[in-house]
Formats: sequence, C-alpha cells, structure tokens
Amino acid sequence: MQASGVFEPGVIEEIQRKAETGIYQIRGYGTLRERRWATFDDLTFLPCSLTRVPLEGYREKCSTRTVLGARYASRPVELEIPVMITGMSWGALSYNAKAALARGARAAGSSNTTGDGGMLMAERENSSTLIYEVLPSRYGVNVHHMRMADAIELTVGQGAKPGTGGLLLGSKVSEVIARQRDLPVGVDQRSPARHPDFLGPDDMIIKIEELREATDWRVPIFVKLGATRVYDDVKLAAKAGADVVVVDGMEGGTGASPAILQEHTGIPTLAAVCEARRALEDMGLYGEVQLIIAGGIRDGADAAKAMALGADAIYIGTAALIGLNCNRALYLEDYRALGAEPGCCHHCHTGRCPVGITTQDPELMARLDIDPGAERVANLLRAMTLEIQMLARACGKSDVHHLEPEDLAALSMEAAAVCGIPLAGARRAHEQRAAAGA
Amino acid sequence: MAAIDCAGRPAREINARIRELLAREEQIVVRNPAGRHNLGVALLEPGRVRFEGSVGYYCAGLSDGATVEVTGSAGWGLAESMLSGEVVVRGNAGNSAGAAMRGGRVIVHGDAAARAGVSIKGGLLLIGGDCGYMTGFMGQKGAIIVCGDAGEGFADSMYETVCYVGGTVRDPGNDTVVEDLAPGDLEFLETTLARHLPQAARRPARDFKKVVSGRKLWNFDRRDWRVWQEAL
Repeated sequence: MQASGVFEPGVIEEIQRKAETGIYQIRGYGTLRERRWATFDDLTFLPCSLTRVPLEGYREKCSTRTVLGARYASRPVELEIPVMITGMSWGALSYNAKAALARGARAAGSSNTTGDGGMLMAERENSSTLIYEVLPSRYGVNVHHMRMADAIELTVGQGAKPGTGGLLLGSKVSEVIARQRDLPVGVDQRSPARHPDFLGPDDMIIKIEELREATDWRVPIFVKLGATRVYDDVKLAAKAGADVVVVDGMEGGTGASPAILQEHTGIPTLAAVCEARRALEDMGLYGEVQLIIAGGIRDGADAAKAMALGADAIYIGTAALIGLNCNRALYLEDYRALGAEPGCCHHCHTGRCPVGITTQDPELMARLDIDPGAERVANLLRAMTLEIQMLARACGKSDVHHLEPEDLAALSMEAAAVCGIPLAGARRAHEQRAAAGA
Repeated sequence: MAAIDCAGRPAREINARIRELLAREEQIVVRNPAGRHNLGVALLEPGRVRFEGSVGYYCAGLSDGATVEVTGSAGWGLAESMLSGEVVVRGNAGNSAGAAMRGGRVIVHGDAAARAGVSIKGGLLLIGGDCGYMTGFMGQKGAIIVCGDAGEGFADSMYETVCYVGGTVRDPGNDTVVEDLAPGDLEFLETTLARHLPQAARRPARDFKKVVSGRKLWNFDRRDWRVWQEAL
C-alpha cells in the first residue's frame, strides 16, 4: 500500500472537510507548514577567538537598554530589554491573559501592545509601557485611551494574514467583548482589511500627523506591516513619517484566520528583516527609524540573529502565550474534546482554550491565574534577554544592539543568498561571489 | 469670541492655539483654514469652533465633546472616530466622513463622497445631499441619513447601523434589506431633519427608505454562499 505523494492523507481529509462544510478551514496559531525555507536556524554566530576579544559571558556589562522612536516623538519609548510583547486583542485573548502579559512585561522592563478591540483598562494599569494599536477595524478606538499610551502603532497588516482583516468567531464575541467593539453578541466578526479613512502611503502621511496631533507629538508612531513587499513597504512607511517600522513575518501567529492565508501568504521573518534593513539603509534612515521584527521568534537565538541582521527590538506573541502555558499538558480531556493534544493544539479560534488563554469563557479563563502567569511571562522575557546577552558577549559586544551581520555565517545557500552573508566556509557573501562571477 | 488666523501657521500651531483658547473661551473662530489637514483634531473640550472656509483631511477627528462648524467643505475622514459632540459642514465632505465614529453627530449639508460612515459604531451621520459608493460599509451601530441619492454598494456588509435614504438606492450593497418605516422611524426622521436642516432642504420623512442588514453575513451559512461570494 502506498499513499499518494500529491493527495496525502491530510490533503484528502481537508478536501472532504470542505466538501462537507462548504467553507475554508479556519484556525489559530499561525503556519503549520514544515519550514523548508531559510530560517534563523540557517544562521550561526561567529563568536570571538583570536581576531576579536569576547566579553566575560556571565560578568561583563552588556547593555540591553532599548530606545525606540526618537525620530519625531518628544518622549521616545525606553525599555530595559529589547524583547517586547506584540499586539494581541482582548477578545482573541482572555482578560487574565492580557493582564498577565501586561504585568509580566512590566516586571521585565518591557512593553505590551493592545491589539484589535481597543484598550483593556487592566492592561494600562498593569503596564509600564503600553503601545496602543490603531487597526483598520477601529474597534474600541478611544482618544482618551490613545492619549494614555506610550506609543501608537498604526497597523497596516500582520504576518499571519497580510492583506486581510482580523477574525474573531462568534464563540468569542461575548457580551463584554461585543460591547467593547460595538458589535452584536455572537457574530463572526470579520474585520476590514483597509483603514476606513486612508488608502495609500500619501494619505498615511496625513494620518500619522493626525495621530501625532491627538497625542501632542509626545509619543512615537509605529507602523506595522505584514511581510510581503517589505523593501518597498518599509521605504513608504519611513517616508510617511513613521518613527518605528514593525515588520511581521509569515511565521507570525493569529487567534483566528483562514488557514490558507496562514500557509500561503507573506514572506519569512528572516527574509523580511534583511529586506527591511536594506530599505532603511538605502534611504539613509537606518538607525534613525527603528526596526522591530516579529513573526515566529522563539528564543534568544532567533532574537539575537534578527538583531544582528538589523532589528532594534523583537516582538513575541505566540512564544509569550506558550510561556503562559499554551499547549501545556494540562486538562488533557479538554484538549481531546477539541480534537487536539498538548503540543499540537491550534484551536484558539474556538474559544475553548483548555488553559484559559484564548477564551472568553469565565470557567476556562479562571484556569489562568494572573500573578503566576505574569511571573512566567517575566521569566521568559528575562531568560530570552540573557540568551541574547550571552551571544552578544561571545561576539565581543558590550551592547546587544551592536550585533551585526558580520557576526553571522550562513549554514545554507538559501540563507546566504537571502541575508547576503557568507556561507560557512566561504569568505565572501553570495552576492559578492555572484558579482565576481565565482 | 476669540479668533485665530491660520495664514502662515502650520496645523500644529493652530491646534495648540485652539486647545489653549477652548480651555477658557466658549466660542472660537478660525479664519483662512485654506484646506489645511488635521485641523481641530482631538478637541476634548465642550466649546464651539467655527472654521471659516474649507478644511482638509481629518478635521475634528478623534474629538470628544466639541461643537465644530465648517463653513466651506471638508476633506477625507471628517470627524473620524469621534466619541461625542457635533460637527457641521455647510459644503460637501470628501471620502470617509464620520468613519468609525462612535457617538455624536456629523451633519454634511452638501454631498458626501465615498465610504461615508464606513465602520460607524454609533451616533448620527446626516448627509443633506447625495453620498458616494460604499457609504455605510460595515456599519456597526448608529444611524446614517442620506437625503439625496445613495451611491453604489450602499450599506454593504452592515451589522446594526440603520440607514435612511430620501432619494434612490440604485445599487444596494451586499446583505441589505429595505424595510418599511415604522412610526418610530418617522418620528426620528422628522425630529432629526427639522433640527439639523433648513426647511427648504428637507424632504418629507415618509419619502425615506429604511435600509438595514439582512444579517446573512453575520455568521457563515453555506446556504448563503452567493452572498459570501459576492461580498465586497
């Protein structure tokens, strides 16, 4: 017996599911594809030996202080660490999850971000630095909340589903979430993809100025992009006046989205950071406009490599939820009721999260205690920061932001081509070799 | 009444002066706005501001509580995301007037261009003339009154916004339903039109059509495939 290499068992199952239901598959979490593209795992650091002197790995100072948005804002964001919590909505996440993320980020000297659906007051109260997201849906937009924020993030797209609006299925549009978003209870909320009051980058210049006027030019304006035509988009965002550009790669997570978008749109985070850096360098704005990279960042190694390639800071989302016990082997019967198992659950869209993170059900939510959750988030952020520092010191850097492409070698031809850094064992970057006809 | 002359001043300086004056004056006149963008953004005091002339994008955007009058016309995003207050434009409005507004009243005496009241979440958008395509798109709550004709794709994909059109609805949007006016609708229209429009510009309330959501796009049902396939 041999299964088809084209119509594999999973493909057959999905075709038959579509034939029964008449709708595309919806799920959460992000791409499930086996990653056959170049990733951060295709890079390795080249620590010091004789050509460079390392810093003592456990002792010498290695700064992690991160400043974002000094281009036009009078009060830039200043963080103790370069790892931040990305925007995830109250609605996609439970109250307890949002509060725990905020409190954990504050404890670690980092920031968190509101998400689609406006600001949860508990989030503000538990944050030291809160980034207020302005999305196409404009759910819950409130100028007073905006003015309480430490930065504004104007979201054009997200990595898991660039070019598409948010999605919150009816099971999660509870009374309180419906009220917050001005929606009927229980509707499948499909958010618009375009902002209601601007279309292209020329209009966005004026929009950014409006946001500055609304916040007295105090706080930085971030522009968040789903990673597609990154080089051009980053240039347009920077030209439009962004203080900070956020690029979210295709490995980015989501609470709910058509699976086909998660699997077949956008470019990988590794490629995105390289394109974004080139765009800012070509404009002469690298260093003046900060770059935040998001999308499937798992640990300090991913983060440090992204920073070496050009990122000033890193957003984590899914990793932070995993830190809160997402996919942990608890409440096994509830995973199985969803048709899932710990370690391979991506049922955030159902609202039946066994560990109380992506749910609006009070009983499930109660499974996530805010204080222990916050401590786990803080521990994760701190551990990732220590990992970044470890790699930076080994490369002789007294500041994690001093990591640079020269600290890396590629382990695959694809990574060498994408990043423009030498394949391990080669002395020149792929681009230079190609130009030399080698 | 305090006055500000915009000539030679950027929006940032004009807005700072408006806010400064609003803290102590009940009425302000802003002269020579000359189509500047972002005038009167985030006005959070209950005073009255009159722009004598036309304004650009996002006039009175993100405001809460002020009463704003524009004697000329307004550009895109008039009063977007407004929480409360009143914005009156004597001329016409560009795209996305009242976009995502959550409360208050936006009154456009002339025509409004495309996507007026897009993603409206509350309050009232009253258009004395015609409106452009996709007006009311994804409206969530609140009311839109169009005294003239509605453009293509009117009221497409709405949730609970209630629309009234005095003229023709040549091309209603996806998932729309035209309902008969109930006594409450007639009373609301008569009161609202009388309050905000001059006698000569008013149509009788009974001439209006009421357009609401058919609710087929609220939750997916494969039997409504055509509605989903044609969704804008």
